[in-house]
Amino acid sequence: MTPQQVAVLGGTVTSSYGESVVDIGRADWLAAVTAARDVLGFDLFDLLTAVDLQDEGFQVVLRLWSVTTREGLRLRTRCPRAEPVVPSVVAVFRGAGWHERQVAELFGVVFAGHPAPGPLLLAGDVAGHPLRKDVVLTSRVEAPWPGAKEPGESDADVVGRVRRKNLPLGVPR
Amino acid sequence: MTPPEGVPARSRGAIGLLEENCTVCMLCARECPDWCLHIDSHKEPLPPLGPRGRPRVRHVLDRFAIDFSLCMYCGICIEVCPFDALFWTPELVAPAGDGADLTAERARLREWMWSVPPPERGPGA
Repeated sequence: MTPQQVAVLGGTVTSSYGESVVDIGRADWLAAVTAARDVLGFDLFDLLTAVDLQDEGFQVVLRLWSVTTREGLRLRTRCPRAEPVVPSVVAVFRGAGWHERQVAELFGVVFAGHPAPGPLLLAGDVAGHPLRKDVVLTSRVEAPWPGAKEPGESDADVVGRVRRKNLPLGVPR
Repeated sequence: MTPPEGVPARSRGAIGLLEENCTVCMLCARECPDWCLHIDSHKEPLPPLGPRGRPRVRHVLDRFAIDFSLCMYCGICIEVCPFDALFWTPELVAPAGDGADLTAERARLREWMWSVPPPERGPGA
């Protein structure tokens, strides 16, 4: 599938790992997914997931596959953090229902028009959306970081140290 | 635990420690994404090298433990070690009824070390 053919979906076409990637505005999301199936022939729903882009909101990623031409296509859209709502594509691909429920649960993105929203994977007592980058793992709060010690130090030297010299990577605080 | 028959010598099993090479630089413990490496050490004074030298300090390893209940065998600790003190071994970490028994202290890490095959010669060596 050439970039010119993919351009009929609207949005910005790029290419990555040998596949076309189309960034679509939130308002055109449902129309573009429908056109990908009906006009371009991407008939198999592969997956739907999301990426937490922090200040830039959430990116919802949808991958489709064409059974006849054996090609993949990725569609992406974004929603702001303050208003994380994306139109549901369950009406186009019924298999997206569970994927959208999973993204709704783990990222807190609301899929407008989903016929059966609700929790899918998490136990009822999990608060918040665990795959959001501002959620801190409980075990990272409770356990002391083994790398806080300097060479030549033991656990006893670190206890009660007011100023922490080293901080673990990738742990928001 | 010895690996089953037919497992290649360079398999990525348990991680072994050659503590003679360890300088207690803490890089592996800081890089470990799982926080499964535990190192304790102390400082030991050394006499100056000459009459005009300064007294020096050496870091001595007290504890080196890998918690294999957390380890995901990513090998970042082995990659990051600047002194080649950590190695992949073909050994297997034995299953345990208690999670605490999966923490391998330095004696076990050292025992595993002896199953590491010698480095292979590359082409033209």
